[in-house]
Amino acid sequence: MNDSRHVTIVMIEDDEGHARLIERNIRRAGIMNDIRHFSDGGTALAYLHGDGLVQEGPALVLLDLNLPDMNGVDILAEIKSSETLRRTPVVVLTTTDDRSEIQRCYDLGANVYITKPVNYDSFADAIRQLGLFLSVIQVPRADPP
Amino acid sequence: MWMTQRLANRLIIGAVIAGFLSLMLIGLIGVNLLRRNLEFTALVSHTYQVQDAISEFRILNERMETARRGYLLSPDKRYLEVYEQTRAALPPVMDRIEKLTRDNTVQQQRLRTARAIMARQVAAAEASVRDRIAAAAAFDTDPAVLATRELRTVALQMTKEEQRKLVLRDAARLGAVEKLVALIVCAGALTVAIGVGSLWVIFRSFRDLTASRARVEALNEGLEEEVKTQTAELRRANEEIQRFAYIVSHDLRSPLVNIMGFTSELEAAAKPLGDLLEQAEAAAPGAVSVEARLAVTSDLPESIRFIRSSTEKMDRLINAILRLSREGRRVLTPEPIDLGALFAALTGGLKHRADELGVTLEAASHGPALVSDRLALEQILSNLLENALKYLAPGRAGHIRISAAQRGDRVIIEVADNGRGIDRKDHERIFDLFRRAGVQDQPGEGIGLAHVRALGYRLGGVVSVESALDRGATFRVSLPRVLSLEGEAA
Repeated sequence: MNDSRHVTIVMIEDDEGHARLIERNIRRAGIMNDIRHFSDGGTALAYLHGDGLVQEGPALVLLDLNLPDMNGVDILAEIKSSETLRRTPVVVLTTTDDRSEIQRCYDLGANVYITKPVNYDSFADAIRQLGLFLSVIQVPRADPP
Repeated sequence: MWMTQRLANRLIIGAVIAGFLSLMLIGLIGVNLLRRNLEFTALVSHTYQVQDAISEFRILNERMETARRGYLLSPDKRYLEVYEQTRAALPPVMDRIEKLTRDNTVQQQRLRTARAIMARQVAAAEASVRDRIAAAAAFDTDPAVLATRELRTVALQMTKEEQRKLVLRDAARLGAVEKLVALIVCAGALTVAIGVGSLWVIFRSFRDLTASRARVEALNEGLEEEVKTQTAELRRANEEIQRFAYIVSHDLRSPLVNIMGFTSELEAAAKPLGDLLEQAEAAAPGAVSVEARLAVTSDLPESIRFIRSSTEKMDRLINAILRLSREGRRVLTPEPIDLGALFAALTGGLKHRADELGVTLEAASHGPALVSDRLALEQILSNLLENALKYLAPGRAGHIRISAAQRGDRVIIEVADNGRGIDRKDHERIFDLFRRAGVQDQPGEGIGLAHVRALGYRLGGVVSVESALDRGATFRVSLPRVLSLEGEAA
């Protein structure tokens, strides 16, 4: 159960403000896991594919769909089709509430889809829900090579 | 090109008409010639008759003379009988010749001479018959014989005259016949020419007709193609706008999340700040300046309240744009719609509110057949009905009626109310996004009618209004009877 403590949260989010608000609310929800913030898709994927992840243990990905360098959906597809990463839980956290977009994310294997509400209370609520989610899911360790 | 073509056609048609006219003229001339030919023939036969009569006269005369001589030589009763007979037969023949040659003065003259000679001859002959022996003796000086010789000469002259005339008349007749033959040959040639000309004209116009029909068909196809292209371009442009609206509203949302989020953080930070101020005030009265206290207790919360209400409004507007754009991208599914049932369902859903407001809702139980997108139509009509319920005229019991009628290949749905109405100058404005009209005493963002019009366009329809202030309003939705999705993006 306490495995989740060692889980690194990989946050892929280009908006500094959003990143900061998410982090604050995660902390307020009592989640003390490491948070690695990437503001573009390329660097984040390089990190996920690289050695860093193996050393630091399993991860959970917080993914925004609107990124400057690539579409978040493509990052999701790449994670879910990768042999080593496909079991990594992905939480899509974005402003897009288009039904077909949500459908597509789930089809690609997103574990949770959260729409960023503009209303801040709802926003904080959603993050708290995420904390709850974090405490119940089993995040697999990356298999030792 | 077109003008010269027209001119050429006119010339050709003129030539053909002229050809037919000359053919008619030839016909007339031919008839005339034929008539003249008949006249000549009649004249020729007349001449033959005259010749015939003259010959008869000559024969009778000779016969009478022969009979007389015979009788003088031998007093046989039979000679006398023949003589009597021929003598009696001569005057009628003379009369006939006179009648036949009435048109010829020369012949008449000769006839008179002949009559005179014959009178002498007959007198002499009668005398010789009475005194047979003396007459036989003086045969050479017999006046009857002399008269007979003279008569012979006159008759011969008359025959010659008739012969001459016969030749002339026959020549004239032959000339007329030749003219007729020439005329017929001419007519034949002209007929052939006209026939060929007409055929050529017909062939030519037929060819032109075929060519122009082909051209019209080609143009028509081009036009259809053009319309298709234009429609496709319009749809593309529309999709572009929808996508644009979608992206813009999404991208506007991102900063808005920050504004609202950090405003809340600010608000949260203001609370411990206020507590701190109170503690400081309690610990050292007068340490906190009035300005500082006002800033924390009044200015800060007020500013935050304004930021929040503004961002909330902006959020609503962005959501409205998003909804419009999403509606614009929804795939339409045309299906047969029972308008009577639809009206009943829509008014049924609003009945509770209408009862509370004291408004009577009237829905037509039947409507024309319609194939359209049910959801879009429901949204249009419920928007219009809700507006009618919202904008009532104060002091007047509301009455709202929804009905439909068919006009040509379109179905017109009307939502009519007796509410406060809309000023004529605002009739276009009310359909604009975020625009409203009249007294602003009802909640709303100015989205409903913009939405209605956009949906109407998507259904291939038009939404219009007829109204005046305090005169109620009638909204009309004109839709194609059958919604066609041709060219609609999949």
